[in-house]
Amino acid sequence: MDKDMKILIVDDFSTMRRIVKNLLRDLGFNNTAEADDGQTALPMLKSGKFDLLVTDWNMPGMDGLTLLREVRADASLCKLPVLMVTAEAKREQIVVAAEAGVNGYVVKPFTAITLKEKINKIFERLEG
Amino acid sequence: MSEDKPENSQGISYLTDEYLSRMDTLNEALKSGDEGKIHGLIGELTTLRESALYLELGKITREIHESINAFGNDQKVAKLAIESIPDAKERLNYIVTKTDQAAHKTMEVAEATMVLSDGFSDRARSLRKRWEKFRNRELSKEDFINLNDEIDQFFNSVDDDSREINRKMNDIMLAQDYQDITGQMIKQVVTMVQEVEEKLVRLVTISGAWCSVSDAKIDGEVAEGPQLPTADKDKVATSQGDVDDILASLGF
Repeated sequence: MDKDMKILIVDDFSTMRRIVKNLLRDLGFNNTAEADDGQTALPMLKSGKFDLLVTDWNMPGMDGLTLLREVRADASLCKLPVLMVTAEAKREQIVVAAEAGVNGYVVKPFTAITLKEKINKIFERLEG
Repeated sequence: MSEDKPENSQGISYLTDEYLSRMDTLNEALKSGDEGKIHGLIGELTTLRESALYLELGKITREIHESINAFGNDQKVAKLAIESIPDAKERLNYIVTKTDQAAHKTMEVAEATMVLSDGFSDRARSLRKRWEKFRNRELSKEDFINLNDEIDQFFNSVDDDSREINRKMNDIMLAQDYQDITGQMIKQVVTMVQEVEEKLVRLVTISGAWCSVSDAKIDGEVAEGPQLPTADKDKVATSQGDVDDILASLGF
């Protein structure tokens, strides 16, 4: 896995962005950027070449599910791996996210090990 | 006569003995075809029924009126609307600010501590390399003198930095003091919410709106925020393991 890959972290809470950023740095990923909702994230994704999107679901403005759908609907972004890190834990919601094309789903509160596992799994599957 | 009352008539207040006996008379009049009597009896029955209904309606109206008055005159309700709810909003906002500050403070200090401990291991690694060279007699005299100085500096920095790390750990502990204050405030808000709940239940009872409160449709499209760990396990994933199982069942 390329440790220089560019990762966009989207969450409306700056504490959560900071935690995810630190965990990613701990895993060796230093090339990260942040956005506080889907509306801010989408233009960033379109203009910068990102290799992974880590997004929350429940955000003001554009939520994570809508962002995921926008990404899948965009010809230049549709292949972008998306990891959802969210407190949304209802069975129906997980099913909806899976159907919308999410690559991984982590429920909050989560551990560094879970995050690492899911990122690894995403890229194993993509490379495999 | 009253033994003949159908069972479901028990609760209908206008079905009095008087009313039922007129019904019987009406029945006889219908058989004998006495038109004048029939008209008279139907009129009487209508009057009997209507007066009973008006009486009942009057009673209900009075009850509602009294309940609404009692609700409106309840000082506690006014206090809830004017004082308690705005106060709870303020408290909850304060809690959000406090926990946010504490989280940032903790992360800031933790990050600074990581920088210190990274420095430790960097310097230790560099010294160890040269120390091994020295033990293998690969170090020149000049390098050895440098190494000596650096070891001295390292000891000093270990002393200083570990004190600093200690201070930072203390800062992290102190940053958790929000828990005490916010915990107490949350309890106050919970008490207030309980009071509001009681009043709302009374209001709903008065308005008789115990109509079916259907579950909101669960379609999985809308973000709802965190669920309680005690949530129904069939509907909610309570751990990452549950999430993985659900995804696995979908072929992930």
